[in-house]
Amino acid sequence: MSFWFIRVRWALLGLFLLTAFCANMPAQQISRPGTTSSLPRLADGKPNFQGIWQVRARAAYDLQDHAARQGMPAGKSVVEGGEIPYQPWAAAKKLENFTNRQKADPLGKCYLPGVPRIMYMELPFQIFQTPDEIAVTFEWSQVFRLIHTSGRPPLHDGFESWMGTSRGRWEGDTLVVAVTDHNDKTWFDMAGNFHSDALKVTERYNMLDADTIQYEATMEDPKVFTKSWKISMPLVRQKNMDRLMEYQCQAEAEEASGAFERDPRTWYPQSGPVTPSETLPPGGNLAALKTGDNLRRTADGKPDLTGYYESTAGGANYGLERHARDFLTPATRGVVVDPSDGSLPYKPWARAERINRELPYRGYDDPTAHCFVAGVPRGIYTPSPFQIIQTPGYVVLLFERMAWRIIPLDNRAHIPDTIRLWQGDSVGHWEGDMLVVDTANLNGRTWLNEVGDVLSYTAHVVERFVPTADGKVTYRATVTDPIPYTKPWTIEIPLNRGKEELLEVACHEGNGDLQHLKDVRDEYRAQQKKEK
Amino acid sequence: MGIINRLAILTLVAGSVFAHHSFTAEFDQNKPVKMTGKVTEMEWSNPHSWIHLDVETNGKVVNWALETGAANSLIRRGWKKGDLPAGTVLLVDGWQARNGSATANVSSITFPDGKRLFAGSSNGSAEPSK
Repeated sequence: MSFWFIRVRWALLGLFLLTAFCANMPAQQISRPGTTSSLPRLADGKPNFQGIWQVRARAAYDLQDHAARQGMPAGKSVVEGGEIPYQPWAAAKKLENFTNRQKADPLGKCYLPGVPRIMYMELPFQIFQTPDEIAVTFEWSQVFRLIHTSGRPPLHDGFESWMGTSRGRWEGDTLVVAVTDHNDKTWFDMAGNFHSDALKVTERYNMLDADTIQYEATMEDPKVFTKSWKISMPLVRQKNMDRLMEYQCQAEAEEASGAFERDPRTWYPQSGPVTPSETLPPGGNLAALKTGDNLRRTADGKPDLTGYYESTAGGANYGLERHARDFLTPATRGVVVDPSDGSLPYKPWARAERINRELPYRGYDDPTAHCFVAGVPRGIYTPSPFQIIQTPGYVVLLFERMAWRIIPLDNRAHIPDTIRLWQGDSVGHWEGDMLVVDTANLNGRTWLNEVGDVLSYTAHVVERFVPTADGKVTYRATVTDPIPYTKPWTIEIPLNRGKEELLEVACHEGNGDLQHLKDVRDEYRAQQKKEK
Repeated sequence: MGIINRLAILTLVAGSVFAHHSFTAEFDQNKPVKMTGKVTEMEWSNPHSWIHLDVETNGKVVNWALETGAANSLIRRGWKKGDLPAGTVLLVDGWQARNGSATANVSSITFPDGKRLFAGSSNGSAEPSK
């Protein structure tokens, strides 16, 4: 990676954080113990932490008192007592980190920030809360945390990860979260404060009033510190935001550096006119969908979709149409139910592109080969599990390979057409026992699978999650996308609820495959050049 | 039960492997490889873990990287870190990367006594054609 690229990336990150920064509130506040009657509460009596929040402190730059530096405004310490109690060797290491921070900060390589750092990164996050779990979705690179509060132990102990394993419990109105199994690669801030894999973090979330959470985190790490230490800062409700947007760190970096190239046919135009959408003829007739009887239900009477899902998907990730085995690409039986012959209604150029994408030199162009998010609807049928969290107002999909989709159920309008997102903008509603999700605002960068079925920015996706029996869901998605297709088409896939737990896949941490794929592409391009 | 015996009964069913890229694009059907070597490291990582293997050919040792499942898929199959100690001898069949590097997609790994370690990293969650 060239030096200028790292510098540009660093500058962008700094600029981004500065832009997101609002006001310099006192970093430390005394949390009020006990219960407060005026707090918003859920039916189970717990304080209702749901909503969009953002830190109000300068902890992201440096947890301790710090003077201003390039890309780093001055700020007060959020550490109780002011200083982090490093062991002597660790104090020296921290200084070294600080000196080399522009290259050494793991965040500069878009690695997952870890806990507690993700909590105070000055980008908003949203909390979803049920009696058994709390999901926290972050705008930064679609990171999420899934915190089980039901008291059951983790299925897989000792699984070391960037974000650690979180287990929550309630102490009165305080949510206490123990975070263990950290790796030793994350930092606490941009200033190089660090820890080892022996780190244990205990977080305490106290709601001071309806719009303020006092966040505390106590760090224990006998390999690095002489004693435990605590940080404290307010999280403030973002009342002006009705949804999270996105900042896909790695994707933006690779696009900026040229490592991920624009496809002018499918990507949302950078400038100039946006091709007007043609009106496509209607799709074919589809079989009526029937929801099951005796479904598990949530307190508000809706079918309870909550749980861990693994889709067998009929091999949709290797072709939406029926496709024979090709060396290491498995055969697929085809999942297209409309058109009824199982083939996608491609325009000729798009069919040619789909075939071309299956050539080895195009393997590099598949966004998931870069570890970017799979998009809609691909995320549902990649052979990787996802978790559904359901509250009265939202259905949230958490994808194991670190991505989320937040689906508000109030049928609100989509975001402005000019804002395009990797996962698009999803809005849902219940039609009886069927969840219907409408997705627009896609950026047209995703592929529909490994063999390159085509999706463009004009795609409009309507998904139906149809519970047919307890733990069984029929997933149907109709895609209307006038750039590559002549009419709408529909796929259908069975989803099954399983008993596993999500385990983090920090995909781009060791993506050696990408270089191999790039070599294949570069060799092809060199050959083409020579032949000219 | 010794570690190696325990390993022999752990399987890595290909279906659990998240294919984040096309194996067909990365590896070469025309470059089948067959090798015997000693494990130098089992690297737990994402999106794939890697077994590094020292393979001696005509007095020259080359360290091969063998692609396996993501760390979480190994955990779900009952693997633990340290399960494949350095020095373990393995027999490997697979396909070499198209770029010619000492990297292979594995179709089978066995111990010298013929016990199977696990299936390869190629994805197989697709159902066979019906």
